[in-house]
Amino acid sequence: MREASRDRIKAFLTLLPSMILVGVFVYGFIGNTIWTSMTDWGGMGALALDPEKNFVGLANYVELFTGFLGSGFRQDLVNAVYYSLMLLGGAVGLGMFIAILLDRKPRGEDLLRTIFLYPMSLSFIVSGTIWRWLLAPQGGVNVLPTYFGLEPLTFDWLSSRSAILVFNWQDILRILLYGVSLVCILAGVAVLRKNRRKAMRRLASGVAVGLFVWLFGDVVPDAYMMREEHGFNLATLGIIMATIWQYSGYTMALYLAGFNGISQDLRDAAMLDGASAAGYYRHVAIPMLKPITISAVIILSHISLKMFDLIFAMTGPDNAETGHPALNMYLTTFRANEFATGAAIAIVLFLIAATFIVPYLVSQYRERGRR
Amino acid sequence: MANVQLKGVGKRFGDVEVVHGVDLDIRDNEFIVLVGPSGCGKSTVLRMIAGLEAITEGEVLIDGQVVNQVSPKDRNVAMVFQNYALYPHMSVFDNMAFSLKMRGMGRDEAEEKVREAAQILELTPYLGRKPSELSGGQRQRVAMGRAIVRNADVFLFDEPLSNLDAQLRTQMRMELRKLHMRLATTTIYVTHDQTEAMTLADRIVILKDGAIQQVGTPIEVFEDPDNAFVGRFIGNPPMNILKGVYRESGGNRCAMVGKSCFPVVEGKAASLTDGASVLVGIRPDAIKMGDAVDKLPKEWLCHGEVVLSEILGGQSHLEIVVDGETRLIAEVEGRVVAHPGEVVPIGFEFDRMVLFDPESTNTIR
Repeated sequence: MREASRDRIKAFLTLLPSMILVGVFVYGFIGNTIWTSMTDWGGMGALALDPEKNFVGLANYVELFTGFLGSGFRQDLVNAVYYSLMLLGGAVGLGMFIAILLDRKPRGEDLLRTIFLYPMSLSFIVSGTIWRWLLAPQGGVNVLPTYFGLEPLTFDWLSSRSAILVFNWQDILRILLYGVSLVCILAGVAVLRKNRRKAMRRLASGVAVGLFVWLFGDVVPDAYMMREEHGFNLATLGIIMATIWQYSGYTMALYLAGFNGISQDLRDAAMLDGASAAGYYRHVAIPMLKPITISAVIILSHISLKMFDLIFAMTGPDNAETGHPALNMYLTTFRANEFATGAAIAIVLFLIAATFIVPYLVSQYRERGRR
Repeated sequence: MANVQLKGVGKRFGDVEVVHGVDLDIRDNEFIVLVGPSGCGKSTVLRMIAGLEAITEGEVLIDGQVVNQVSPKDRNVAMVFQNYALYPHMSVFDNMAFSLKMRGMGRDEAEEKVREAAQILELTPYLGRKPSELSGGQRQRVAMGRAIVRNADVFLFDEPLSNLDAQLRTQMRMELRKLHMRLATTTIYVTHDQTEAMTLADRIVILKDGAIQQVGTPIEVFEDPDNAFVGRFIGNPPMNILKGVYRESGGNRCAMVGKSCFPVVEGKAASLTDGASVLVGIRPDAIKMGDAVDKLPKEWLCHGEVVLSEILGGQSHLEIVVDGETRLIAEVEGRVVAHPGEVVPIGFEFDRMVLFDPESTNTIR
C-alpha cells in the first residue's frame, strides 16, 4: 500500500469518532429540530409517553410570521434585530475608541486595560442583577443627577412602554426589499473606483429593486391580515447598555492586540507620509484590522441572537417589552409545551445566525483558496 | 533639495547614551552613507533626522532651519525602511499616493505623480496589486516610489537592501545610484554593509559606539583610515593589523614585525621615535604575488608560505605566513595559483602601509 493512502486512512480513522459525535449530536439534532418544527407536537398531549406528532409542513413558520398568535414572536424578533444592531455599533465603536485611547500609551495603561476588560469576566446573571439595580426607577442611574443638584430622571429603563421607529408588520416584505436595494447600492458604491462594471451592475440592480417596490409596492403581498405595529422598544435600552458595558472591553482587547501587532515602522511611515494620529487610525490601522472587525461582528451578532440570561436576570421572562426570541423559544417549548412552535423559533434563529456566519466562512475559504 | 547639518547631536535612552555629539555637514544633493557595526547608533541618527526620535542634545538643521521641534511630517523628508513598511491593505498605487492624499493633493494630480514615479521604477504593471502579491525587489521599489512621489527635500534609507538576496541587492544598489544621479536629492543612507557604503556613497561616515570615527570619500577612508577600527571595518577582507616596533638606524626606518623589517616610506610617521611600539596596517590588496611582484622595489620583497587559499574566480584570498610567525591575508589576482604548503615570493606595497598608535589606535601620520 502506498504511504500516502495509508496516511489518509490513519487520518480518517483518527477523525472518525469526532465526526460521528458531531454528526449525531450537532447535525443530527439540528435535523431533528427541523423535523419537529414541521410537526404539530404540542398542546394537551405533548408530554404523553408517545405523543402524537403529525407532519404539518411549514404551518408553524407561517403562523409565527403571519398568524394571529405570532404577534409576540414578531415583536421579539424586531427587538432582537434592533438589539443586535445597537450592540454591534455600541460595543465595536466603544471598544475601538477605548483601544485607540489605550494605544496612545497613557500612564497606567495596564491598569486601565484590566479595568475595561473586567466586566467580561462576570456572568450575565451577575451583571444583569447589578444593572437591574442600577436601572431601577428610583435608584442608580435615575438619581445620578441629584448629586449635581439636578432633578432626578424619571425614565423607566426596563419597563417603558414607548417605542420609536415604528413600522407596520404588513409592510415587512416591502421593507426587506428596500433593505436589499440599499445593500446592493452600498456594495456598488464600495467598488466604484476599483471595478466600474461590477459597481454599475450592483447599482443598477439596487436601483431597480428600489424603484420596483416604490412604484409597484401593491404587487408585493401584505405579510399580515391587519395593521400590526412593531418598533424599537425603549425598554430594551437598559439591556443594550448592560450588554455594551459587558462586551466593549472584549472588543477593546481584540483591537488593542491588533494595534500592538502593527509594526512601529508602519506607524513611522504613516507619520512621515503626513498622516495625523486620527489619519493613521482611519486610513492605516483600522482598515488593516478588518479581519478583527469581522470576527468581532460575527461573535457579537451570534451572542446577541442567543442572548438569554442577561435579559432573564434584568427583566424576568415575562416582560413583553423586552422579549427576545431565545426567551420566547424557552417559554414556548418548556412552559407552554408547544414543542413544534419552539423548534420553529429555534430554526428561525439558526437561519438568521447562518446569514451572518456563512458569508464569512465562504469568503475565508475563498481567500485561502487564492493563497 | 536641501543640506542637512548635525551640530553636537546626542541621544540618551534613560542613562544610556547611544549617540554622542555627532557633528556632520551634509551638502545639497550629496549621497551620504552612515556605516558601522550593529548597535553603533547609525539608525538612531537617521531617526533623529526624520523626527521619529527626540533629540536629547544638539541641533539638526534642514536647509538652514533648526528642526528639533518640527514634527516628522513637516520636515519634508521621506524614508525607506528595511522591511519596506508598505501598507498591506492598500494597492501599490494607493501606497504611493497615500502621502499625497494626506497632504491634500487632488486625485488627478496625485495620479500623474504616481504614474511618473511608477514609470521611473518600472512599477506600472503592478499598480493594482497588493504588496503581498509582489516580490521582495518589487516591494523595495514601491517603498522607494513612495519616497520619490513627494519631491521630498531629503531621502532617508534605513538598511533598505538588507532583506534582499545577494544578487538582487547588487542590482538594486546600482539602480539606487542611478536614481540618485537622476533625481539628485540629498540622500542619507544607513547600512552595516561596507560594500554598499563604498559603492554608493559620495562620502562615508563611519560610526562606532555612537561616535563618528571618520568622514570621507570611499577612497579616502579606504586608503587613509583615521584609526585601526576604520581600517578593519572598511574593506573586505579587512586590513591586516600586526603588532610591531618602530626602529630607526641611520637613514633606515623600519616597523619591525617579528624578524621582518617593514620599511616606512619617507615623510610618513615622522614623529615616531626609535623603540616605539606601533600597530602596522596592510591592506590585503597591497600584498602582491606573481608578475605584479616584479614592479616593486627589491627591498619590499620576501617569501611567504601559503597556508590556505580561497579562489573566488576573479581573485583569490590567501592566508600567508611570513617568517614562520606573521600571518597575513592577501587578496591577489585569480590567475595566481598557489597551493597550501608552497613557499612563494611575495611583495608589499609599503607606500600604502598605515601605522597606528597602539594606545589610542589612531593613525600616526
